Amino acid sequence: MKTTQSYLLAALLQGAFFTLACPLVSAQETAGDYVSRKEYEELKAELLAMKKELAGLKKSRQAESSSSSESPKTQAAVAEAGKTVVPPSAPPEAALKESPLGLTNFHIAGWGSATYEARNGNVSDFTVSFNPIFLWQLSPKLLFDARLEIEPSGSGTNVELEYAELSYLLNDYITLAIGEFFSPSNVFVERFEPLWINKLPDRPLAVYDGVLPERSFGFQVRGGIPLGPTRANYSFYVANGPQLNVFSATRAGMLEFQDFSDNNDNKAFGGRVGFLPLPGVEVGYGFEIAKPGTQGTDFADVDSLLQSVDLNITRDSEMLRGRFDFHAQYAWSHVDEATYDPNGVFGFGPLTFESERDGGYVQLAYRPTRLDGDFVKNLELVGRWDHLSRAPSGLGVSQEERWSLGLNYWLGPGVVVKAAYEWDNAHDEPNRDAWFLQVATGF
Amino acid sequence: MSTTTKWACIAAAGFLFLATVDWKAFAGPKGNGETVTTSTTESSTQLSGQELWSMNCQRCHNMRSPVMYTNSQWEVIVHHMRVRANLTGADARAIADFLKSGER
Repeated sequence: MKTTQSYLLAALLQGAFFTLACPLVSAQETAGDYVSRKEYEELKAELLAMKKELAGLKKSRQAESSSSSESPKTQAAVAEAGKTVVPPSAPPEAALKESPLGLTNFHIAGWGSATYEARNGNVSDFTVSFNPIFLWQLSPKLLFDARLEIEPSGSGTNVELEYAELSYLLNDYITLAIGEFFSPSNVFVERFEPLWINKLPDRPLAVYDGVLPERSFGFQVRGGIPLGPTRANYSFYVANGPQLNVFSATRAGMLEFQDFSDNNDNKAFGGRVGFLPLPGVEVGYGFEIAKPGTQGTDFADVDSLLQSVDLNITRDSEMLRGRFDFHAQYAWSHVDEATYDPNGVFGFGPLTFESERDGGYVQLAYRPTRLDGDFVKNLELVGRWDHLSRAPSGLGVSQEERWSLGLNYWLGPGVVVKAAYEWDNAHDEPNRDAWFLQVATGF
Repeated sequence: MSTTTKWACIAAAGFLFLATVDWKAFAGPKGNGETVTTSTTESSTQLSGQELWSMNCQRCHNMRSPVMYTNSQWEVIVHHMRVRANLTGADARAIADFLKSGER
């Protein structure tokens, strides 16, 4: 019994000692290498925050690498997570793609050229031009593109807006566009005009200040349609339209396309329909109807009709060991009967007539791409005939006809050196034959 | 040159062209398969991206190699050409996928 009491006393003494000693030890730990509960909780909270940030970073990187294959909903979630960890000055790509007006894709294309021209009756001349095309993909469906033509003029530099268009991909078959655009009825200007694409240094008469408009201001609907193994395409537009020349003896009755402001409330309606029965073969028909007279004048109700047909064939021929490019287009212009200079104020009237004009070209190019030898396969031979009837009033040059023959050398897919001779005969005028040398590069 | 001679020359050139074309090749255009990877993406008419690239691009200009531009550049360029050349959406996507397969 005495022994048991001794043990109990020892246990009480030890409990009292530890009870008194623990606060002292705890105080020593706080001031030494250990942390308090409060500090522990703070550290734990910081660790959890860091883990959250790390998870956000991982998701953001995954979104960047697979943003194209993810649904918009997933991208939005990833972008939302990324907002917590990416500085505002560098938003994640996924967030930009989600934006209706992102800044993700911008590209500059275009071409540059240098030309030497020696034309009979003119002094020979060197000219250069730089034609950048600005492509800004605002979203996967929305594209703004514009082209400038920059070239020396006199002692300065001339900058011209060639086109500026905003287009929206409504679905796989319909595209809506608004702005200044190349007239779809003029297929040469819309597709083959860039000097690294055009196989001759000069442009065909009928499509340059000729029968057809080059550019239009307005709205268009266009697209492509699969028809079994074949394809069809279409472009329809409403635009300001041409103006009727009523002042000049030599140009009376002609449609003027260079003044882009409209002269009446009537808008021109036009378009082109193309059909591709075989790969590399396209036939097209284009038209434009308008009232080109100035509002409030006697010409206000005069109607005009432009029509155009074109055939384009590009094909490799095993038999002739090379590639052919065949382009042909012919256009007709009709303006209803009208009386020009009815009071003789301009010195050539009164003159009453229906204005009829026509013009076109046929071009054939051959490049022996299947022959051996780099030099030979980079040569290309080009021939072109083109024609334009000029003065419907009968008071000026009636028509102009040209034959052109050219030899090109391709330094690369987009770099070409051209040499050409042009036999240019305008009826009742001295010939305007010309030599050309040209270097053009597309980028 | 008389009008008759002029049209005779044009007709002769056209006949020469039509007579020498390899018509069988229209059944399936071939791209430059030696230098680029074939894409498996197909359009609504079952032509591959490479075939559509070959068919459509050289209708107007020399073809550009897929390695000439980055993927994001091709995306903008094909979008632009879809509008300009009136390509269908399916054809444009197949061409874009093929061009992107050759990224540098």
